[in-house]
Amino acid sequence: MSRTLRATTRQVILYILLVIVLLWILVPIVWMLLSSLKPTNAIFSSTPTFLFVPTLQHYIDVFTSGNGFSSYIVNSILASGISTLISVGLGCFAGYGLARAQFKGKDNLAFWIISTRMAPIAAVILPLYIGFRYLHLTNTLTGLIISYLTFNLPFAIWIMNAFFSDLPISLEEAARVDGAGRWQTFWDIVLPLVAPGTATTAILCLVFAWNDYSFAQTFAGPNSQTLPLSASQLITQTGIDWGQLTAIGTIVALPMVVIGLAVRRWLVKGLTLGAVK
Amino acid sequence: MMLPALILLAAISIIPFLYMIWMSFNTVSLFGGVSFQWAGLANWVQMFTDPDVKSSWLISLIYFVATVGVEMILGIAIALLLYEITWGKNIALSLIIIPMFIAPVIVGLLGRFMLDPTYGLYSWLFKSTHIYTHPILGEQVSAFVSVVLMDVWEWTPLITLITLAGLVSMSQEVLEAAKVDGASYLARLRHVIFPLTTSVIVVALLIRAMDAIRYFDVIWLSTAGGPADSTKIIPLRLYDEAFRFFHLGYAAAIGLGMLAFSIIVANLFLAALKRREVAG
Repeated sequence: MSRTLRATTRQVILYILLVIVLLWILVPIVWMLLSSLKPTNAIFSSTPTFLFVPTLQHYIDVFTSGNGFSSYIVNSILASGISTLISVGLGCFAGYGLARAQFKGKDNLAFWIISTRMAPIAAVILPLYIGFRYLHLTNTLTGLIISYLTFNLPFAIWIMNAFFSDLPISLEEAARVDGAGRWQTFWDIVLPLVAPGTATTAILCLVFAWNDYSFAQTFAGPNSQTLPLSASQLITQTGIDWGQLTAIGTIVALPMVVIGLAVRRWLVKGLTLGAVK
Repeated sequence: MMLPALILLAAISIIPFLYMIWMSFNTVSLFGGVSFQWAGLANWVQMFTDPDVKSSWLISLIYFVATVGVEMILGIAIALLLYEITWGKNIALSLIIIPMFIAPVIVGLLGRFMLDPTYGLYSWLFKSTHIYTHPILGEQVSAFVSVVLMDVWEWTPLITLITLAGLVSMSQEVLEAAKVDGASYLARLRHVIFPLTTSVIVVALLIRAMDAIRYFDVIWLSTAGGPADSTKIIPLRLYDEAFRFFHLGYAAAIGLGMLAFSIIVANLFLAALKRREVAG
């Protein structure tokens, strides 16, 4: 009896701690959501307002204030989407090659790929900026896509390699014995088996590119501005429009949270670059 | 099969890298087209003697130790908590990892919103409880603590997620045996749980370590390195030198210094990976 009592007390304490953790994590997010739905005077009050009549005014303002918000969304989707497609497409082939081929200098190749992924963004931006000026790629979506490839391509190669390495090679050998060619084995046997891995890689690439601020801030011009830039542009000398800002914050965050949680099962592997299953 | 990807990767990584080395030995000007003027070791000498760069490295180091340290301790603690609870583990984990997916620029702006001296929820909380009444992002120490905590808020969940995966894959038999032997929770933690999850925790640490120097958006958007440069970590310094003062050659030298740091981390990561493979 006292043993179960002790176990129950322990669980109660654990749940109290869990509530504290959840409050710490969720309060800013919920506050952002609530603020985006508040009338302006309820945001700009010196004591927090908890009761208010919800309004979509800030969301409407975001789209109609004449800053071309819709084109920002299109740019964001195109830049992150196309860079993801290229990364995952090329990454699938290279990752498979890396997983199956045995050759001298494989370790060096792996090191090069992983250190490209780890390179500090500020240090990557600098030579790209000069190169883009020279090639007239600033203020273009192409430039933005290339700059996203600098981190997403090595990431995709590396992660796909990890997913392919987990497949038992006997499957491929069996297919080859049955007379399937190299390509056929790859397309019909191997690729379908790593589908969850490919999806996870694609979603993480999308999140990394969509969430980028530094590259866009440096390279994008009027023709290629992305969503995160539109948020930062609300910071002006005369003050910050927190209503619109929290609305944009919600628009930027929500789709990534949804697709991120959709692949939660494979996230650990993806985010540890394949080191933890 | 690997060639298309590797050629593209070489074009966007090796060429810029060599270009950056070349830049660091030159004075680079953007006006009237890009032009280079040989400067010898001037940028490198400047980097090793510039007190501003030195202080930025120091701030980066403190920021790095503080963020990664707090994230590790808190992340592991939350993972242990989730591991022990009986009901709602999955939903709790899903809620906890939400911050990871929010763009760092939004995290920085949200932090600024929560800490706004007039309208911020947290500022109001601190003021009405008399814990802290100054403008939080306006004072050096509190601004630094704030940007650390913003990063901690966004990335502690990653440590929790990785550590929990390590905990779940522990052998249940060993754990049960320790329980039957009457080992206390702390004893089990020390002698069973930690030894079994060390390699996973090391991976979590290295993943965080490399990202801690990669990103600078949160600070950029919340304090922009201020007040009085108290949060100006080295990537922000580089960005200022390059795109505010247009000392591009000098910025290249700073960038190569940062790159050296991440190459060390990459090496450690590969070593950890190898050891895990050997361990099975």
